[in-house]
Amino acid sequence: MSYALVVAEVRRGVFEERNLDSFGLSSLLGKEIVLVVPDGPYSFNERLADTIVKVKAGEEVFLNPLNLVDIIEQVMNGRGKPDCIVFTHSSSGMESAPYVAGTFGLPVVTDVSAINKDEGVFYKSYYSDKIFGEFKCTGQGPWVLTVRSGSFKDAAAEKADAAKVEYIEGVAASDKRVFLEYVEEEKTEIDITKAEFLLSVGRGVGNKDEIPTYEELAGMLKATLSGSRPVIDKMWLPKPRQVGTSGKTVKPKVYLAMGISGAFQHIAGMKDSDCIIAINKDAGAPIFQYAHFGVIADMHKVRDKLKDMLKS
Amino acid sequence: MNIVTFTKRVPVTQEEELRITGDGAAVDLSKLPFKVNDWDNYAVEEAVRIVEKVGGSVTAVAMGDAESDEVLRRAIAMGAKDGFLVRIARAIQDPFARAALISNFIKNENVPFDVIFTGVQSEDDQFGSVGGILAALLKLPYSSMVIGIDKVESDHMVIRRELEGGLQERVRISLPCILSIQSGINEPRYVSIMGIRKASKVERKVFQGNAYEAGVGAMIDTVKWVYPPRKKGAMMLSGELDEVCKNLVGILKEKGVYQ
Ligand SMILES: Cc1cc2nc3c(=O)[nH]c(=O)nc-3n(C[C@H](O)[C@H](O)[C@H](O)COP(=O)(O)OP(=O)(O)OC[C@H]3O[C@@H](n4cnc5c(N)ncnc54)[C@H](O)[C@@H]3O)c2cc1C
Ligand SMILES: Cc1cc2nc3c(=O)[nH]c(=O)nc-3n(C[C@H](O)[C@H](O)[C@H](O)COP(=O)(O)OP(=O)(O)OC[C@H]3O[C@@H](n4cnc5c(N)ncnc54)[C@H](O)[C@@H]3O)c2cc1C
Repeated sequence: MSYALVVAEVRRGVFEERNLDSFGLSSLLGKEIVLVVPDGPYSFNERLADTIVKVKAGEEVFLNPLNLVDIIEQVMNGRGKPDCIVFTHSSSGMESAPYVAGTFGLPVVTDVSAINKDEGVFYKSYYSDKIFGEFKCTGQGPWVLTVRSGSFKDAAAEKADAAKVEYIEGVAASDKRVFLEYVEEEKTEIDITKAEFLLSVGRGVGNKDEIPTYEELAGMLKATLSGSRPVIDKMWLPKPRQVGTSGKTVKPKVYLAMGISGAFQHIAGMKDSDCIIAINKDAGAPIFQYAHFGVIADMHKVRDKLKDMLKS
Repeated sequence: MNIVTFTKRVPVTQEEELRITGDGAAVDLSKLPFKVNDWDNYAVEEAVRIVEKVGGSVTAVAMGDAESDEVLRRAIAMGAKDGFLVRIARAIQDPFARAALISNFIKNENVPFDVIFTGVQSEDDQFGSVGGILAALLKLPYSSMVIGIDKVESDHMVIRRELEGGLQERVRISLPCILSIQSGINEPRYVSIMGIRKASKVERKVFQGNAYEAGVGAMIDTVKWVYPPRKKGAMMLSGELDEVCKNLVGILKEKGVYQ
């Protein structure tokens, strides 16, 4: 049987929206869809799958790569191998897909964001979206894929019939890697998700000493200062100010990005802003693809000029 | 505690225009500067910190051409005891083949370890796959996106994984294991030119990659390199800086975020 095995991403009771991209890719490939998901009160459109395999295990057991290989083995038992095993390109899919590929000896392509079905090729990003690689799987399938969020969700199609539901009764849970607890981010006084106007700086800011000058500019503009991941990694701004998949998702009226290249993990956190303005000295920076307005310039010069203008 | 940490030399592309040559056959990297993969820098630092606390040694491993020696010297300057270079004639595209070669290398050379670190991903090809495949091939427990190591014992560690939206999960993992390290886990120490010069005096071992090719077939094939599809894109504000900034403020006023 020719089918796509979609491995659901669920976190704290929520069926992540990113899963739609896994359904979308599988639909585009014209595959029957078998969804595997922990058995729980997750709310999602069950019509998107032909078969739903519910695993009687908690999500912490399910999302552990060491256990997932046993689950996938059980799904394949009796059903045969799928044509592809599809994960979200996220903290869970990025972790499990390579481990599953390594365990079963399967080809893996991560961060797939486009396909050409007729030619049987996948596209993935290189160099933060400056180049795409076109891939073919030469080995025997199934292919293990992780899918970039937002890439295929519109292609997710409802099936004519209600999904068949099956159960996996138990999982051989590993004692070598065990979930202990979730740890939440500390609450802070400034909530960048509430700001109407964000001035966001990236690695292009250069060094820590420049940060106060942008704080000053943000003050003059009555904007809130936020940043991309490298700025937070270097501790130039506190973690709650990070925009992106592993930080905050923001939708301000204006998002002014200075010295940010536009990696998808960043874009995913700000693309729904009403108005995106990007300032970058590299005309080829991918962020210009997502921005409404762009300026090719040295951010420091723009900062100085803006400050001069606002003072007078 | 013996920690093996992988470190890769990558091109600096953030401010460069990348050109595809030979009708999609290659990307011209010839004029680019190179540096250590950002994620690996955090991994080396974390390994060195653990060993400084509990004892043991750090071995840095790079796979690549002779130039990759540069990232080994850097790792030694940061505190690694050994640097191993696995020489390969041409980069290996398929993360599976790459991990299989590393797995053979570790087994054949009996490289001792309690933990293996990789970075979460390479900056250039962003596969993020070597650690996970390697763990499966070596039959070891694995965790990726490690953003904190809370406890190091002789038979296990307690770590924190980074999830989405600022959430983390705390996990207990048995040793030996493989962890992929997320950027921001620590503040990597500064490496001076002097430090690197001193590190050059420490011998780095070179291994010939073709000795580890048994069963290392590629399963994916790059057909070609292409430029990403273009979207509508931004409306570019051009002209003198003065005029550009006036336009910018104009937009802010129009959007109602600045009076
Ligand atoms: C699991 C995972 C989760 C992640 N989560 C996030 C996240 O939540 N948020 C996030 O942002 N990233 C995240 N990342 C990282 C992401 O992949 C990128 O590495 C990051 O977004 C790059 O940040 P940047 O654009 O600031 O830096 P770079 O990509 O280094 O870009 C710097 C830009 O500044 C420009 N520049 C340099 N100097 C100047 C100047 N003087 N004037 C103008 N422009 C200049 C350059 O041309 C370049 O475009 C995550 C990665 C992983 C693997
Ligand atoms: C335009 C272009 C042309 C290329 N041409 C070729 C080509 O002709 N042939 C070819 O085979 N490949 C080619 N490559 C790809 C190149 O092989 C990869 O960038 C690299 O080896 C990727 O590693 P990875 O994605 O598996 O790493 P990831 O899985 O993303 O990396 C995770 C971690 O694994 C470790 N790691 C990965 N690789 C190494 C290494 N070499 N040394 C030490 N540690 C490592 C690091 O710790 C890293 O942080 C090309 C890439 C591009 C973009």
